[in-house]
Amino acid sequence: MKRGLERWYRYKEVFSGALSAEEAKGEQANPVQLAFLKIVVDHVDRIIGCVESGKPLASIWYGNAPEIFAALGIDWYCPVDMVLASQAFTSDLAEVHTSSTPDDSCGLIQLAAQAVEKGYVPTPNSIIAMLEPCDAQTSVHDAWLSVDAWSDIPTFALDYPYGSTQGDFKYFADELGRMIAFLEDLYGVKMDWDRLREVCETSNQMYAAWSDLNDLLCAVPCPLPPMISAELGWNVTQHLLPPGSPDAINLFNLLSAGARQAVEAGIGAVPHEQVRILWADLDGTWAASMLAPWLAEKYGAVIVQTFQGHTPYLPIDTSSPESMLLGVGRRSISEVPMIRQARGSVGVFIEDIKSMVNDYTIDMVFFPGHKGHKDQSANIGFLRETCHDIEVPLFAFTCDLFDPTWVPIDQLKRSIDEFFETQEIRPLG
Amino acid sequence: MGKEIIVGEELADSAAYRRLEASIQEPESEEMRAWKDAGGKVIGCLYNNIPEELIVAAGLTPYRIRAVGSTGAELADSRFSQINCSLVRHLYDSAKRGRFDFIDGLVAANDCDHMRKLYENWKATIDEPYFYFLGFPKKHGEPQAARLATMLGDFKKSLEGSFGVEVTDEKLRAAIDLLNEIRQLQRELRDMCTSDDPPISGAQMLTVAIAGDSMPKKVYRDLLRQLVIDVRCMGDATRPRARLVIYGGEIDSPELLVAIESQGALVVADSLGGFGSRNCACDVSTTGDLLFDLAHWLVVDRPHEPRTFNTAPERYAYVDGICKEYGADGVVQVHVSMCDLWSYDRLNFDRHAGMRNIPCLDLDIEYVLSGEGQLKTRVQAFVETITDKER
Repeated sequence: MKRGLERWYRYKEVFSGALSAEEAKGEQANPVQLAFLKIVVDHVDRIIGCVESGKPLASIWYGNAPEIFAALGIDWYCPVDMVLASQAFTSDLAEVHTSSTPDDSCGLIQLAAQAVEKGYVPTPNSIIAMLEPCDAQTSVHDAWLSVDAWSDIPTFALDYPYGSTQGDFKYFADELGRMIAFLEDLYGVKMDWDRLREVCETSNQMYAAWSDLNDLLCAVPCPLPPMISAELGWNVTQHLLPPGSPDAINLFNLLSAGARQAVEAGIGAVPHEQVRILWADLDGTWAASMLAPWLAEKYGAVIVQTFQGHTPYLPIDTSSPESMLLGVGRRSISEVPMIRQARGSVGVFIEDIKSMVNDYTIDMVFFPGHKGHKDQSANIGFLRETCHDIEVPLFAFTCDLFDPTWVPIDQLKRSIDEFFETQEIRPLG
Repeated sequence: MGKEIIVGEELADSAAYRRLEASIQEPESEEMRAWKDAGGKVIGCLYNNIPEELIVAAGLTPYRIRAVGSTGAELADSRFSQINCSLVRHLYDSAKRGRFDFIDGLVAANDCDHMRKLYENWKATIDEPYFYFLGFPKKHGEPQAARLATMLGDFKKSLEGSFGVEVTDEKLRAAIDLLNEIRQLQRELRDMCTSDDPPISGAQMLTVAIAGDSMPKKVYRDLLRQLVIDVRCMGDATRPRARLVIYGGEIDSPELLVAIESQGALVVADSLGGFGSRNCACDVSTTGDLLFDLAHWLVVDRPHEPRTFNTAPERYAYVDGICKEYGADGVVQVHVSMCDLWSYDRLNFDRHAGMRNIPCLDLDIEYVLSGEGQLKTRVQAFVETITDKER
């Protein structure tokens, strides 16, 4: 079997099983769950098919302008996504703990380095590196390229500017042009600008659909369960589907339909909602499943929105090749999460906190202090000042968003109990 | 047979060396005070990617920010967390305590996530007459050199506007020539350590390099010229038990090397950043557009660091080359905790060293040297391992 496929056939088995189980519920099946599991299974199938048939397959990241790959007809995957999605049924974390990967770095990066070294991911035939949002992001590619199976793979890196001037955007658009030339040369394909226009237009529709869903989350009480928009939206827009896929738009419309009904009926997804929380970072692998349900059940505290679910996406201007590259570039360097808040100066991070607190009627901010986000941890002074100014309590802690053992969840829950007590928030009776 | 000379012992007789050594004992050196007293201005630099040539051409003196003598970082607690490295915490603490009050401005680059945030926190909480930030590319190619050249042009205009000076091509060329001469002198000094009996220790070499960013460049150049003459006249020193190369990011104090060399080893060469050989490995060209030449040196010509994408093969070839040239017996890798760039590089270099049978010792350090006893024990064991193998 080709390197990495053993694990991916296992993914197929597990997620196909989950899909069958949901389908077996018949009319009782959750349509959102069904749609999402089908997307995951299709994604796994697509990657397995590429590897088995030797088709072009690029290793990319969410900020690498997937619109361009879709327009060029090149399949892609992010080597760490399924590793994270499968954390509950693999021993990857336990292996990381005994590996030589640096334990003072981000768990996601450790898992990504390990996955390639141990062959838990298929071998692509090109690597597009993303050099933001953190130092470790650059470093992990060095780790990959030091693995024999990956050392000779043609590689291109997108250099993200620090600033956000017109000159910076133009520079990045030029970088995208150089990436297109690299891909054309490597795979013998040619950019069809009309095809890119179609992709960008449907991609615009997809982000608009996600944004419409988020508008519904502004309602009090929150009509959807904690973090669900962020969890599903991030994965279908950035990782599992081509930009603008009808499946993604359909998923958002399904979620919106349910949310709209709840809003009109004034019903919250969490009974007795009493606290609305902004989770100021990515969701990670455990917050949605191990923390958010506890918060909801014990305190009626709802994580209404996260940086991962934030939708600041502006439509890409499709009037010319230049405008499309500028638009796709803007999306990559200043709209997708993490890169948006971590690249460059602290301004966007703070403005996002302020606007999201206002838009979603947030009662308090949770700042996870993820150990991989060295930059954001050094924003803590700015964050305290901001929360003080807008009179919103801040709960700041330290964790690894991708490793629930680094700071044990029970310990975190105790800290939250203490914090809520200081805020005079009592457990639901 | 004459008296046995310990490596570097004779250097203490050099007045030039004594002055250089004295200049790094406090944040502000005597030479810098004299410059200020004469009306000169000083620009603090964070960290090793600042184009000092432009600052010198503007008639200013660049000063590399170092928290020498720092004993704590309590004042950084409100702005940084425990996952931020001790280097930036100590630098910020010293800044808050007013230990860098002699600077007239601060220039930084996005060297790493910690450093760029140090700049932002500094700018938000400490008054300086001038602030400037350079967003360095993370790739090394011609488009990146062109992009950086544009940014250097903006920086030049900013210096001109803020300090009321004109940075002409003539001034910039003179500044590049001055710093190139310093690099050449540093290389000359380093070359002397390829001999079997190096005349200068690694700690002393680092001291000399650090002094270069602690005083006006012309004063430093003159002292360095004299030092090279002094060292040439020195006798052969005792042959060290083991010859080591030190590899890592930034070390801005010789204490670590003193501790390593106390165990019978000699650090004959390094692959370190701004105070190390990477900064003086080659000169800035002056054959074309000067801003482009300077940008090209910064992102293309100099030996790279892990922040520059996909440069591991060149980085390791550089270390390999140094090991060969200086006849090193092993490599000591240093890594400041919480530094993602160098922690992955350590992992990768370990693989590289393992494949080439290069003995390698990994040291996790903090900005202010601690756990010295344990460190010495590890170095001693490493030296014994190397020398046992050779026997």
